[in-house]
Amino acid sequence: MPGSAYSSVSAGDLAGRTARLMAYVLLAVVLMTLDFRGRHVERARALAFSLAEPIFLVVESPFRFAVSLRDNVRDYQVLLAERDQLERALRESEARQLLLGELVEENAEMRELLDASLRLDSRFLTAELRNIDLNPYSHRVFINRGLRHGVRPGLAVIESAGVVGQVDQVATRSATVILLSDPDHALPVRVQRTGLRTIGYGSGRIDELRLTDLPMNVDLEPGDVLVTSGLGGRFPAGLPVAEVAEVQRPSGEAFAVAKARPLARLGSIRQLLVIELEAPGPLPGVVPVAGDDAVDEISEDEP
Amino acid sequence: MSGRNQGSSLLLLTLALGFALTLMPLPTVVEPARPYWVAMILVYWNLETGRLRFLGQAFVLGLLLDLMTGTLLGQHALGLVILVFLLERFRNRIRFFPPWQQAMAVFVLLLNERIIQLWVILLGGHGWPVWTWWLAPVIAMLLWPWLFLLIDALRRRQRLLRS
Repeated sequence: MPGSAYSSVSAGDLAGRTARLMAYVLLAVVLMTLDFRGRHVERARALAFSLAEPIFLVVESPFRFAVSLRDNVRDYQVLLAERDQLERALRESEARQLLLGELVEENAEMRELLDASLRLDSRFLTAELRNIDLNPYSHRVFINRGLRHGVRPGLAVIESAGVVGQVDQVATRSATVILLSDPDHALPVRVQRTGLRTIGYGSGRIDELRLTDLPMNVDLEPGDVLVTSGLGGRFPAGLPVAEVAEVQRPSGEAFAVAKARPLARLGSIRQLLVIELEAPGPLPGVVPVAGDDAVDEISEDEP
Repeated sequence: MSGRNQGSSLLLLTLALGFALTLMPLPTVVEPARPYWVAMILVYWNLETGRLRFLGQAFVLGLLLDLMTGTLLGQHALGLVILVFLLERFRNRIRFFPPWQQAMAVFVLLLNERIIQLWVILLGGHGWPVWTWWLAPVIAMLLWPWLFLLIDALRRRQRLLRS
């Protein structure tokens, strides 16, 4: 009879249960420490992530259905207006691209003159956020591109306003992207105005990056724009990252610190671009097969 | 023994629904106040049928949640194990509470769970959560009687269908 079996809890029972509680608590704490410090459970996590992918897809399906339903019943006139607007935007960016094309050529010639070898070609892959909310404290988003589309861990992810983060875990049709704001994330940046190179650390808050270890006499002002320096080898150089919001020079400390606001709308992004960097090959025209090892060796921006 | 097996499918179904509700997209403003669905469903089955009473079960559920929501491995597991332990301590009392008093008990359990989570979040260097984050146990308390009645009704229907 199930009713009588657990009607009363004896003292011995309680002691045993407390002991088991302690064991589980200890196990949980050890797991968390391993996960936080050494990332020893990374492989298990990656495996579990790809196993869990179908569940994510099932959970997402009703929302995908709702979105497609909404798309189907949208007003014809609204769509026409939207198309006109997009066409205008396209023409504008085409014009801008023409100018840029010339600059690219000029730049290439200059680089040749300078004998600069570091030149990274990149391809873009558009991605969209899946309708899945991950825990806000995990600083990760879930995108609808995966191994099948050529996404690999460590690829840079941007949106129209700036850098978003990099790919963390990859499954067949989806991947998670670790945001700039994660406390574990560090990104080599350059101050656009002065050319000063430093590192932008995630602060754990979605609207803040931290620059630490700045010299006290640093030439940095609120409003300065930070761009990627390309030093990690994962991000192409020159992508906008953040805008400096505040510079502090605490007396008695050895270094100045600054806070910056990410330019990408990390909290409300939907459309993303994954950048596939091709590592600088030994010969032009030779496409590296994976290009992964070379990138990994010089990377500083491990998530 | 047949009484134990009966409703296994319903248990799995409610847990699956709990997971789906956990992953369901919500606007950013109300997102932190999302009630802890899996814990509420766990408490229901524990109180009403005496299932999911083992600490190990809570631990595994918590690990699953960690993997799903991308938190530190063990964060949800820690909270759920402590919750099940406390629930077991006071189970015989809570079981015979009227629904509103039971809701209060659920509130206290979930508030305690939030405090444990806060500890992990602060240790992880994430800073203080927004104030709406503390609304989650309150919302869970308000939802509790309805969830209770819903699963009760489902169980009764299933029993009728079986017989």
